[in-house]
This record gives sequence, structure tokens and C-alpha cells, in this order.
Amino acid sequence: MFTKKNKPKKFTLVRKRVPFLFILPWIIGFIVFTLGPLVFSLIMSLFDWPIAGEAKFIGFDNFKTMFTADPQFYDSLVITLKFALIFVPLNLLVALVLALLITQPIKGIKIFRTIFYLPAVVSGVAVSIIWGWMFNSEYGVLNYILSLLGIEGPDWLIDPKWAIITIVIASAWGVGTMMLIFYTDIKGIPYEMYEAASIDGAGPIRQFISITIPTITPTILFNVITSVIAALQQLTLVLLLTGGGPLKSTYFYGLFVYNNAFKHHELGYASANAWFMFIIILLLTMLIFKSSSAWVFYEAEVKKERKGRKRK
Amino acid sequence: MNVPKRMKLFFLFTIVATLLLSACSSSDTNGEKAEDGKVKLRFATWDVGDDVELQQGLIDEFNAKNSDIEVVLEAYGGDYDTKITAGIGAKDAPDIMYMWNYPQYKDALEPLDSYIKDRGEEYKSNFYEALWNYNSVGEDIYGLPVGYTTHVVYYNKDLFDAAGLEYPQAGWTWEDLQAAAKKLTNKDKKITGFAFPGQPDPYDFEMYLWGNGASYVDNKGKLDGNLNSKKSIETFKMFQNMLEEGIAITTEGWGDTEMKSGKVGMFINGAWYLSAFTEAGINYGVVEIPAFGNNPSASIVSSSGIAMSKDSKYKEAAFKFMEFWTGEQANKARLSFELPVLKSVVESEKLQEDPIKKVFYNMLEQSEGYTPTSFVTEDWSKLSDDLSLVFEQIFNPSTRVDPKEALNSVAK
Repeated sequence: MFTKKNKPKKFTLVRKRVPFLFILPWIIGFIVFTLGPLVFSLIMSLFDWPIAGEAKFIGFDNFKTMFTADPQFYDSLVITLKFALIFVPLNLLVALVLALLITQPIKGIKIFRTIFYLPAVVSGVAVSIIWGWMFNSEYGVLNYILSLLGIEGPDWLIDPKWAIITIVIASAWGVGTMMLIFYTDIKGIPYEMYEAASIDGAGPIRQFISITIPTITPTILFNVITSVIAALQQLTLVLLLTGGGPLKSTYFYGLFVYNNAFKHHELGYASANAWFMFIIILLLTMLIFKSSSAWVFYEAEVKKERKGRKRK
Repeated sequence: MNVPKRMKLFFLFTIVATLLLSACSSSDTNGEKAEDGKVKLRFATWDVGDDVELQQGLIDEFNAKNSDIEVVLEAYGGDYDTKITAGIGAKDAPDIMYMWNYPQYKDALEPLDSYIKDRGEEYKSNFYEALWNYNSVGEDIYGLPVGYTTHVVYYNKDLFDAAGLEYPQAGWTWEDLQAAAKKLTNKDKKITGFAFPGQPDPYDFEMYLWGNGASYVDNKGKLDGNLNSKKSIETFKMFQNMLEEGIAITTEGWGDTEMKSGKVGMFINGAWYLSAFTEAGINYGVVEIPAFGNNPSASIVSSSGIAMSKDSKYKEAAFKFMEFWTGEQANKARLSFELPVLKSVVESEKLQEDPIKKVFYNMLEQSEGYTPTSFVTEDWSKLSDDLSLVFEQIFNPSTRVDPKEALNSVAK
């Protein structure tokens, strides 16, 4: 049986199996806790699935209801996209500015670094509750501070015009992770580049525009994508801070899905909602990736290009 | 060609595996017999912190006395409804569970009428009559009352003293409340007479309509002519007027924060704040909700009951535990954080002589015979959302829609 033909084949098979064995725990976890629910929710989206009682197969009716008969679907979608449009650029800007600040060689900068990063560690629920107290228009700290400056603060959580801005501010509080990613990238830029630039007479602003920004574009791309996803999936804050109000002005898509599932007990419909958001996120991410070839700059690519040119 | 085939197989395998796994997880683990042959019952509570410890103590007592039953407490805490929902959905509901929203869950619950009948009329009549309404859907009883709270007016005695006002008495009217609120309001000190939520919970708000002889729906669940009736509109108008006059404010929460900071003279809610206010050292009193003219005021009841899962395998044992949990001994043990539901306990503990607790019982007796719309209508969760939005339009300073117009938009 042990012919020469068999032996090497067996050997490669074993060699191939071992690495799989090592990641098996992860694969099992992935199948049970991620892929399983995913597939299951896709199936559910084709059913009328109440919590108690029998599930009924209804084909694509959930999707039909969503697009043709539920105005809340469009409202929530628009509110969420609007939020993302304000939140993503603002968050990137704040993270970048903070990252630049903490790269400065100032005494005690380590303390500031910790302070800026700390909010990213605190639980979203706790943060939401604390923001609720701070934003209270009558007795909140925020309006008290504004009143000391002689400004009458707005009704943050009562006025529909301000509520979405309130959510933006409260979300931007968790900017620490993004800041840290920028920070490590900026720290990695070789000092010689700046030195050479300053010898050539470039001021700090010029250096920032011509060296720092182009070098960190891959990180910007990463942060744009992750923050777009985070913005479109925002739930904790609206669930705990506003509950979708005032006057449904912060009824985000995440809350819409959550309420359909756990308040109205329409699990099938909520699954359909969730899959639609998945498609939107997928498309947006692809779009951003496509656009990245125009503005993201990879050092490795440049090196390859140079080599190519030499060959020519 | 080889690789895609393998990929296909891999996907097929994972999908089959997931389906198998999800099928496994939904198979019955209910009513499993413990190793020593005991009947094992799962009991879910929404209480947190010290209350859970107290409950565990009671359960230990029950387990010690009943050698054939073992009750296991599962404390779900804040996200109780979500977890119960998920449990029911996965056919993995606890055998016994705390319950308040019966209409929503009734399909997963066991009707208890026959069990209660077995225990005799005296057993049933020892519970306050008004509470059965809140533990039934239609003609069927789905739960046993454990605790309850009616809503009352909390008032700040210090602010009343400062304004030279007498404390409100049972039998007062909304006109009295408004007159008091006017005197309490002090713009310079930022003190307002009365406060109510800017996003009122529709379930709670219906009690004001009851007090004025109206309600959201008639007994057939019809909105038009009820929600937008003259009396109903009048009620909303009164609340809106208080805001416009500046003698009342809307709050972001329930009003307790404002009460604690001493900036509000009166607000209305259940018994949840009694110990917190006492701990915070607030000099407060409670009084019945004011009446509209001669019509006695009524309160919604926020009830806590326990119900049995339809899928439970040991229903007799489960009911035995439920009987214990709602019995006199357990009622007494929970006195520190719950208003007892048994007439015999209220009598033996002399709660009618307690100046604060008696108000809640008076309100309960006054509120007999009212059924909240959530128990009548087919799709309360949807209606509740619509009502919520309309109430906000009426009370939010940026809109302040005329109640008649706003209520018509939902009713018609």
C-alpha cells in the first residue's frame, strides 16, 4: 500500500492540516458565533418571525414592506446618513489634531496622551448616562459653563435641531482610538524627512502638508472606513441618551432595527433591515476603496514604480 | 477548477454545521431533571443588587422545604425584556418569569385559571381586585401579582412651607394643583411648581384621561371618538396650558432629578423614589392624584407579576413555587422594596396606617375597573410609538401643536 506515489502526498496533507488545527478554535468560534447567526438572520429575513408563535415563510415581503410601506425606514436612513456626514469628517479632524498635539515634545505629554485615550476604554453605557446629565438643559454642567460665559445654552436633548448635534458631540468623545492610530503612524515618519525639508526651507505648515499628510494617507483611509461603519451602526448613544427623540430627530437606523426586533417583536423584518444596512456599508466601503487609488499613497508602491522605471 | 469546488464544499459544510448547531441550541433544555432526581425550575427576575440577594434567600428557603424541587434564580437585570424575548424566541424560556407586559408575551405563557380555581375563591380574593386586570389578557389570567405601584403626586414640603402653602389633601382637584403650582413658581430662584416628562410614556399618561372620564380606546379598541374626544383633548390642553403659563416644565427623565435638586414643587410617579428621596434627605410628602371636578382620579398600575412558560415541563411544581412567591411569607419578606398585593398582609402589617404607603393603596382602590389600552388593542407597541410622537408634538416647545389637531392625526 505504501507506494512511493502516496508518501509525499500524505506528507503535504499533514503539513497542510497542522496550521488549520492551530486556528481551529477560532474557526469554530467564528462559525458558531458569527457565521451561524449571519446565515440564520438571512433565513429569518424571509420569514414573518414573531417571538412567540409560528414563523411563516413570506419570501421577500419584508423587503417589500421596507421599501414601499414603511416611512420610518427612509427617515431613519436619512438621519443616519446625515449623522455620518457630520460625524466622520469631524471625528477625523479632531483625531488628527489631537494626534499632532500629543506628538509634540512637551513636558507631561504622557499624562495628556492617557487622558485623551481614556474615554475609548470607558463603557458606552456609562458614557451615555453621564452625557445625559451633562446635556440636561436646566441643570446640566454644560449649560452651566456656558451661562458663566454669558451664553444661554440650547435645549440639547429637547430641541430637535440640536439633538443630532448632541449625538455627534457625545460620539466624538470616543475619538481616542483613532487618535492613537494616527499618533503611532505620525511617530513612524522618519525624522530625516523633516530635517531635509527644513534645510530646504520648508516651514512647519509646509512640512505638515507635504510630508505628514501624504505619509499617513493609508491610515486616513483605514480611519475613514472604520468610522463610517461605526457611524452607520451607532446605537448605544441614541438608545440611552435620546431614545430616538425629540420628535424622532435621532431615530437612527440602528435604533430602528433594534426596536423592530425587541420592541415590536418582528425578528424577520429586523433581519431584513439589518441586511439592507450591511449592503449599504459594503457598497460604501467599496466606493471608498475605489476612490483610494486617487488619494492614498503607499510607499511600497512608489519603490516598485521606481524599480520599474529603472528597468525601462 | 479544484479550488472553487473545495470552497463550495467548505461553504456547504459551514452552512450545514451552523444550521445543525442552531438546531441543537433550540432543543429543549427546559425542565431537565437534576442529577439527584429533583425537578429543576428556572426562575428569571428583573431585580438587581440587594433585591436579588433577598430573593435568593427566599428561594433557598423554598428549596430547603421542598426536597423534590430545585429553583434556580436567573437575574437578568436591566435588559430583562430583551433577554426574555430572546429566550422565548429560542424556545429556551425560563419556567417561571417576572412579567408585566402580558399582551405581548401571552402566546408563550401558560393560562393559570385552572390552577387558581383549584386553590379556591378565598385564595383569589385575597389579592387586590384591581391587580387581576393587569395580570390577565381578555378572560384568561396569565400571572400572579407579586407587587405593584400606583402613581401619586410627590411634593416638596420645604417649598410649600417657603411659599406659605398648605400641604395638598386627598380629594383635591387639578385646579387646586394649578393654583399651588402658580404660587410655588419662582422665576428668580428657577423654581417651577409642577413637572412632567416631555416624552410622556403613553402607557402612564392614560390615567389622566381616565380621571377625566375618557380613554384612548373603547372596549372594542376603537381610537376615533375616544382618543380625540372632547374630554381627552381637554386633558391634553390643560397640561399644555400649564407649560405655556410657565407654572410647569417638561423634564427629560421622569422628574425625580428635578425634585432631588429642589427645583420642582410637584411631580407624579410610582413608588420607585421613596427610599432614594429619603436617603437624599428631601422633605417630601405624597398625595393622591388630583381629580377633574367631581370625577374621582384614577391611576395606572405598574404591576409586577410572575408567569409560567407554556413550554415548562413541570407545571405543577412551577405553580407550587409561584404560590409560595406570592404568598404571605414572601410578601412580608419583600416589604422593604415592594408594596404587598395581599389584603391580609396589608392588614397585618398595618400599612393603611402608614401615611405614605396608604396613599398608594387608596389610589389602587380608586383605580379598580380601568383597563389600559395596551391590554385591549391588537398592536399596542405600534400605537404606543405613534402616541409618543404625537404627545411630544403637543409638549415640545419647538412645536406645541394644538392637541385637537395632533390627536386627530392618530385617531383618524
